[in-house]
Amino acid sequence: MKLFEYQAKALFQEVGIGIPKSYLLDDASHIEAAIEKTGTPCVLKSQVLKGGRGKAGLIQFADGLDAANEKANLLFKSPHHVNRILVEEAIDIHKELYVSITVDPVESKVLIMACREGGVDIESIAIHTPDKIIMEKVDITSGIQPYHCRNMAYSLGLDGQTAKQVMGMIEKLYHIFKTYDAELVEVNPLFVTKDGHCIAGDGKISLDDNAMYRQKTFTKTRDYFESDIEYEAAREGIPYIQFDGDISLMCAGAGLTTTVYDLIHDEGGTVANYLEFGGPNYRKAKEAMELCLSNQSKVILIVTFGTIARADVMAKGVVEAIKKLQPDRPIITCIRGTNEQEAVKILSDAGLECIFDTEEAVRKAVAIAEGRALS
Amino acid sequence: MSIFIDKGTKILVQGITGKEGSYWTKHMKAMGTCIVAGVTPSKEGQLVEDIPVYHTVRKAVARHDIEASMLFVPPRFTKDAVLEALDAGIKKIVTVADGIPLHDTLEIRQRAKEASAYVIGGNTSGVISPGKAMMGFFPYWIERVYKPGRIGIMTRSGSLTNEVTSMVVSAGFGVSTLMGIGGDPVPGTRFVEMLPFYEADHETDAVVIIGELGGTMEEEVATAIKLGVLTKPLVAFLGGRTAPKGKKMGHAGAIITGGKGSVESKTKALEDAGAFVAKRPRQVGSILQNILMQ
Repeated sequence: MKLFEYQAKALFQEVGIGIPKSYLLDDASHIEAAIEKTGTPCVLKSQVLKGGRGKAGLIQFADGLDAANEKANLLFKSPHHVNRILVEEAIDIHKELYVSITVDPVESKVLIMACREGGVDIESIAIHTPDKIIMEKVDITSGIQPYHCRNMAYSLGLDGQTAKQVMGMIEKLYHIFKTYDAELVEVNPLFVTKDGHCIAGDGKISLDDNAMYRQKTFTKTRDYFESDIEYEAAREGIPYIQFDGDISLMCAGAGLTTTVYDLIHDEGGTVANYLEFGGPNYRKAKEAMELCLSNQSKVILIVTFGTIARADVMAKGVVEAIKKLQPDRPIITCIRGTNEQEAVKILSDAGLECIFDTEEAVRKAVAIAEGRALS
Repeated sequence: MSIFIDKGTKILVQGITGKEGSYWTKHMKAMGTCIVAGVTPSKEGQLVEDIPVYHTVRKAVARHDIEASMLFVPPRFTKDAVLEALDAGIKKIVTVADGIPLHDTLEIRQRAKEASAYVIGGNTSGVISPGKAMMGFFPYWIERVYKPGRIGIMTRSGSLTNEVTSMVVSAGFGVSTLMGIGGDPVPGTRFVEMLPFYEADHETDAVVIIGELGGTMEEEVATAIKLGVLTKPLVAFLGGRTAPKGKKMGHAGAIITGGKGSVESKTKALEDAGAFVAKRPRQVGSILQNILMQ
């Protein structure tokens, strides 16, 4: 789960990492109180989970109260569903750096990365000038050591008070990474002021969804989703992504689902949604079909080939869902795996054609979506 | 001799009295797998399918000669169970749980490396050598998927495995050993670490890898081929070729960031190394026919 910037910064503050003076604005009418706290000039940062907020115009600069008021109103009305704005004092910047903590899956170690150039597109630096990225790998069983932090700070060309501050910040970021079961903790840009102080200009934290049971600080509310339907799906525990194509997918297993997605594209079709109808969700045919019916698809394509997720149980669920929901669009079924013969019988008895070949099922779905009948 | 497990491999089942544990123990046994003991804390003295159950791995190991452990343990208890098996000296471990916390898997892999052990999984169906032995859960009775033969398969995905393997079988082949590496971003064992075993296996003529977008496991395989680790033919099928960038579709490991981890870059690396990349599951079968049946 990705945290909002204001949440990341609250964690930074908790462990003693410097952050700009700020005020979390949830209504433009409180802008005066915000300015009182931050002073002017100030920066208004929309609290959305999208990347590239600057380019999208979601971060605005204001040199006085009137400008701040105007910009706050503008941001709250933007089509990006801005519910909160973080108003921050403008920092007098001497230097910008980049620091992040993530995982190196190859060596299975915690990976700390830093760069002398912050505030820019770090991914393009990683691709075009990888030498500029400084890396340090930490064994999670022994944890971060002071030498890791010294290596980073001095490799960044820092000295004196600034080097010490950066060392301290890296150690504190690691503490957050470990304490909150994070996948990513990033400070970009990391501001160094003229007097050598380090301040987290922006913060990104992504927590491991698999570890949420031992992390009670944050819960996924509607704020964390792009649409109501994705939120509804998440509440049912069904992985769902909305697209705007013609074919709704109800597929079991991530690998098979992405493969069906590819096959649809190869056949010239478009996908209306990604939906995993497998794992613990294979008994949720009704919920899955409701999600598919809520979008603008022209056909629902069900493809499974499971083991624990039994074909007969899926088939039964699909038939019951059709009876209850009376779908207004055709349904193609390609359900195989454990107890597939029973599944074929259940589907046939309900008048559904069972296709046993993924490619054939995909071709048929694309033909229906295009309004062609397939012989 | 198959890879990882064979008819005679003595296997322990951790979590044997649970719903999945007992159900799949029955199936593994029915297929001929040699299961000698089980572990469930507080259930010592019980029998599951005539297999004795112990409180702890240490006790089971003291009474039986055990070479491998199969874990049917929920994700939140997996780290503890794997470390218990490693501590008892077991060198081959399969854990099928989906949803093991990332920091736990980092620790598991670190400890396994220190013990020179292999942990297969999590988020996998396990390992199967059709007709011989199985650690995990596979619909082994579906013969158009799990027919014994001479093609080695490694995979990051469960249901896609059934899809691709059925194409291998319909093209006239069978499976020597199928190994589910798992769909997590940090699996206990990576493709490349298993390649030497497939290379050395006299019952494997070619290797199929079933990969996907995200991570660098397929690129590592390409490098290993270039270094001569695997000289047998390798065919890859990679899912997620047309997946929209930046969206997290399915497996946590399957995210594209920047230019890395795309199916395009994986395909290029593999083809440059002399491997074959199928665009559709069906092509895996036809490529194998071209290579092996000429």
